Amino acid sequence: MSTSILSLKSVTMRFGGVTALNDVTFDVKEKEILGLIGPNGAGKTTVFNVITGVYHITSGSIDLQGKSISGMKRYKITKGGIARTFQNIRLWGDMTALENVMTATDTHKRSGLVGGLFGSPVSRREEKRDKKRAQELLDFIGIGEYADRLARNLPYGVQRRLEIARALGTEPKLILLDEPAAGFNPAEKVELAKVIRKIRDAGYTILLIEHDMSLVMKVSDRVVVLDFGQKIADNTPQKVQDDPRVIEAYLGVPEDAS
Amino acid sequence: MINLRDKGAAIWENQGRFGRIGIALGAMTVAAALPFMGGTILNTPIADYESVLVYPIAMFVLMAIGLNIVIGKSGLLDLGYVAFFAIGAYTMGLLGTRTGLNTWEILPIGIAMAMFSGIILGVPALKLRGDYLAIITLGFGEIVRIVALNLGTLGRSEGIINIPTPPGIFGIEYRFDSHRIYYWTLLMLILLAIWMVRRLSVRRAGRAWESIRQDEDAAELLGVPTFKYKVWAFVLGASVGGAAGVFYASKTLFIAPDNFTLQISILILACVVFGGMGNIWGVILGAVILGYLPDRIRFISDARLLVFGLVLVIMMNLRPDGLLPRKKREKVLPNKEKP
Ligand SMILES: Nc1ncnc2c1ncn2[C@@H]1O[C@H](COP(=O)(O)OP(=O)(O)OP(=O)(O)O)[C@@H](O)[C@H]1O
Ligand SMILES: [Mg+2]
Repeated sequence: MSTSILSLKSVTMRFGGVTALNDVTFDVKEKEILGLIGPNGAGKTTVFNVITGVYHITSGSIDLQGKSISGMKRYKITKGGIARTFQNIRLWGDMTALENVMTATDTHKRSGLVGGLFGSPVSRREEKRDKKRAQELLDFIGIGEYADRLARNLPYGVQRRLEIARALGTEPKLILLDEPAAGFNPAEKVELAKVIRKIRDAGYTILLIEHDMSLVMKVSDRVVVLDFGQKIADNTPQKVQDDPRVIEAYLGVPEDAS
Repeated sequence: MINLRDKGAAIWENQGRFGRIGIALGAMTVAAALPFMGGTILNTPIADYESVLVYPIAMFVLMAIGLNIVIGKSGLLDLGYVAFFAIGAYTMGLLGTRTGLNTWEILPIGIAMAMFSGIILGVPALKLRGDYLAIITLGFGEIVRIVALNLGTLGRSEGIINIPTPPGIFGIEYRFDSHRIYYWTLLMLILLAIWMVRRLSVRRAGRAWESIRQDEDAAELLGVPTFKYKVWAFVLGASVGGAAGVFYASKTLFIAPDNFTLQISILILACVVFGGMGNIWGVILGAVILGYLPDRIRFISDARLLVFGLVLVIMMNLRPDGLLPRKKREKVLPNKEKP
């Protein structure tokens, strides 16, 4: 129905002898929430890492809106419209929540160091605009009141959400969320589901890694399942849940047990 | 231990605009008045008090501010900072003796030379991280000194003599023994450097450096052109070192490779670490103390490096963040959370 924003074609990623991704192909369509699930070590985070340029794929191709991004510098991929959060929170702890987001909003600034030093009009205007934007994003994610707190002193749940606000700061088209609900209690998960939908409704496309099945199935429009680096399903949440291969992967029936 | 940083920050934050201007002016007045305190308890028995104010104190302060951009702000361990000091000094020495250019004309050239060598060193070296970067910069510092030692134009081990003093401006004469004039000029350079660093710290560059220092990979993945900003940190640090070098040569009138040993890099590093990496006031305080004490207390002067080493070891154990650690205490938001 709609066009795809990101497409992975036959992506293979090997680390020495370990094949973390094996011939993985899937598309992310504009303005959808695509769930990416799979057992531990299936290769989900590796998918994020190859998309964002942390690793260079062994073979295959990754296109953002029809243009190849494999081999591009990481910050350029981000500037091109992909931002992510981290499975293990990686905020800049010595900066305030607002500064964390502002560092991300700097991505699209025209003025740089020299403009900042001499207080050029562009620099001053951008600084003011981005400060406002950063606060808006914090409010949008529901953590506006923590703006001036140091990231490292924030409660765990706020840190997780700050990661999302920071990623949104780069004005991505596509946002990659790596287990944003890890460690959340059921109430917090419900909250987060709302936030994720809100983000999509604001016009972003979301690729979501999440272990909590009920959460993924509830928010995703479509779900891709990985197992041992291979894609074993790509379908609506309902169909995926009924897929025998998926059930087998999750129940962990060893292949050589039969 | 008492938290000087937070006390100071609290006083500063509670001042209005005029209070702050008052504090700043007061501090500048005290700094500017130091040459007149020679007869007091501050006097240095080891060396001429006023010349101590110029070198090491003011020079150390200037260089520590420069090195702090590299190490404190961006977290890049540069063990060869003396190279930029040397390049500034030799630019002054060479051009000052061979051409008709005077110190004020050479100053921007020396700064440009230092910045340029910052790029030459930074571009390959900043692809590396941590220990590797430290080793390369260490090597660079030595290479610059060894080049000076072997190049005929640079006078080999004899160095360069008869470097001219700065020509007078605004009716002020720079005689080699009018230390306080040099001292006040250096204060201006220091103010300029402080202005630059403070200005950059609160803008995009400051955030970029801070994010690089704390988590470089995360920074790059959130759109920070990390390499570019690391090179910038190097180049700006170099510019301050170069300026110090030009001025140093124009003060001592004689330079030789021996003035630019690894020891200087280590001393400046010690000032930064001792004072508080990343906090410009801490760094200045550190440089003042480490520059001053050896000439105040004879015992320290004799065993300078040993004492510095001990101080650093003790500091690392008691106060690993230095005398005045980098921020941050959080801002309290009185009207938001309380009813
Ligand atoms: N840099 C690396 N070097 C070597 N092996 C790696 C590297 N990164 C990932 N792997 C391997 O690739 C496989 C997939 O790891 P990945 O982190 O992508 O799993 P995951 O699906 O995110 O798991 P989890 O649910 O536990 O987060 C694992 O076997 C892992 O050991
Ligand atoms: Mg993972």
